[in-house]
Amino acid sequence: MTSSPGGLAARTLRLLRHPVLRRLAQAFFVAFLLMVFAFLLIRLIPGDPAMILLGDEATEEDVIAYRKLLGIDGSIPSQFGRYVSNLVRGDFGVSIRSREPVLSIVGKRLPVSLWLTVTTIVMTVGLALPLGVAAALYRRTWFGHAFQIGASVLVATPVFFSGLLLILLFAVQVNLAPIAGYHAGFPANLYYLWLPALTINFVLVPVLARILQSSIVETSTEEFVEAAIIRGTQGWRFYWRYLLRPSLAPTIAALGYFAATVVSYAVIIEIIFNLPGLGMTLVDAVRNRDYPLVQGIVFLSGLLVVGLTFMADLINGWLDPRAKIR
Amino acid sequence: MTAESPSVSPAGRLRQVELGRHWRQLNAESRWGVVILALILVLSVSVPLLSPNDPYGFVDQPLQPPSAAFLFGTDHLGRDLLVRVFAAARLDIALAILGVSVPIVIGTFIGTLAGTTRNRIAETVWDGLVNALTAFPEIILVLGIVAMVGADIRGLLIAIWISRWAQYARIARAKSLALRDAEFVQAAQVLGYSQLRILVRHIMPNVFSEALAYALSDFIFIIVIIGGLSFLGLGVTPPTPEWGAMLAEGRLYLRTEPWLILFPGFFLSLTAIGVALLARGLERISKGEDE
Repeated sequence: MTSSPGGLAARTLRLLRHPVLRRLAQAFFVAFLLMVFAFLLIRLIPGDPAMILLGDEATEEDVIAYRKLLGIDGSIPSQFGRYVSNLVRGDFGVSIRSREPVLSIVGKRLPVSLWLTVTTIVMTVGLALPLGVAAALYRRTWFGHAFQIGASVLVATPVFFSGLLLILLFAVQVNLAPIAGYHAGFPANLYYLWLPALTINFVLVPVLARILQSSIVETSTEEFVEAAIIRGTQGWRFYWRYLLRPSLAPTIAALGYFAATVVSYAVIIEIIFNLPGLGMTLVDAVRNRDYPLVQGIVFLSGLLVVGLTFMADLINGWLDPRAKIR
Repeated sequence: MTAESPSVSPAGRLRQVELGRHWRQLNAESRWGVVILALILVLSVSVPLLSPNDPYGFVDQPLQPPSAAFLFGTDHLGRDLLVRVFAAARLDIALAILGVSVPIVIGTFIGTLAGTTRNRIAETVWDGLVNALTAFPEIILVLGIVAMVGADIRGLLIAIWISRWAQYARIARAKSLALRDAEFVQAAQVLGYSQLRILVRHIMPNVFSEALAYALSDFIFIIVIIGGLSFLGLGVTPPTPEWGAMLAEGRLYLRTEPWLILFPGFFLSLTAIGVALLARGLERISKGEDE
């Protein structure tokens, strides 16, 4: 280093040590490893994938063409080099079945899944916040006990069972939702999305409300809460600034952590409710042995979760001054 | 106690006493968990054994509602749903135990290895690897592996084994980081034991208890994954009795014959709830928040 302490190099170095940037660098490293995993995935196929897809009577040219399509021609390092450079340029390969680029299939199906995720998260926040606060404030009453039992039962119920029960209740018995299907366009699509979103929240809300409850209970023993009470802070300001806001960090972190779970369950939910999103595309691709499409969706879903976790970390640092991004 | 009955050996009696003591140490939550799981295990062993009906065989008119002759009714192929539900319990619980037991061993070993190394580059790469593997949404990763290996029981188990060890490795690494400088480890080093022996005989047993605690909640997840993939038609496939596959079959009769999904779904959920109660109860005991 030739520059003075205040020089450009030193400032750059200090900027590079900034926690947010370091976290970003970590996220990029993880994203690179996701690529490695996705690349290795196709190598789990026992035998020659081209032969599996084409059958025994395939001609030599067909096999070579298919290997090229799957990106498994040439040496392994050169395959990996090509895979990474293609991914970086946004080329995720071509679906074997429809010969359509993977990315354009994903682009077509993604909006449904995104709508489902957004509806779910909005519902999660709307349900988990009041429930968590109530469970913390009334934890010694019957409500607190009922909450604990109900939460244990709901968390352990698989979504593909609770989803069917909800269809039975709301679509068959009471005609408040369609049995299945989807029509694009806000706000009409909410009619098709509220029941699937509720199903995912049957698992998500109890977990998050429980975390929120225990962190509110923890916060309420802090000295700054006592000080606020002594100063006479009251009403919304007290609840938000001194009780809820410092308690939210673990819940947001958990929401980031459960992003993976939401995306996971969304796959099964899309099948139950017949929503033409990414999950349904993935399941179809698995059934059809459409290897490049499976590979692309697996990689992108990992990338999505890494992004969401990173965002949850950032929001955390803003919400709770005690939490430092490490 | 002088009158000793010949059927109970002293060792057997000691075991009974110990069991009694363990039972008294449990709290309400974990007791409920034990009762529920015991009930399901007993039923899953006895019902297929005692019933004259074959879980695969046609017994009577299809789609009968529950009655005295068929407690859970019959399914769309005229099979006895009661026998099928508990035959499925056997398979699901056995598969879930198989699914949990391999990752716990692999993960604990790899995590202990990573926790005792002092190489900084290895630690950084390690962190990234585990973070990357756990970043994939669980079911999507399992689906991805199943797509490659094959959509059957074997593929499903391999997918679970590949995708579930990372959490155990994380736990084992954190624990063994704290253990690698412990006095008993240093003592073993002074005695000149090999690195591998110290790892397997001295560190791993101490790491294992925490991994087992996590295994209980992992069991729930794995039984849901097994059911979920079979529900999608990508795991256990009909006619094999499996809760998820049965839900997928019964789903077509949701409007008119809802018991086809109610019974398998109920017992799948009940199993998961039993394990969850046990896990939560044990966790609270170990934290000392016993009532």
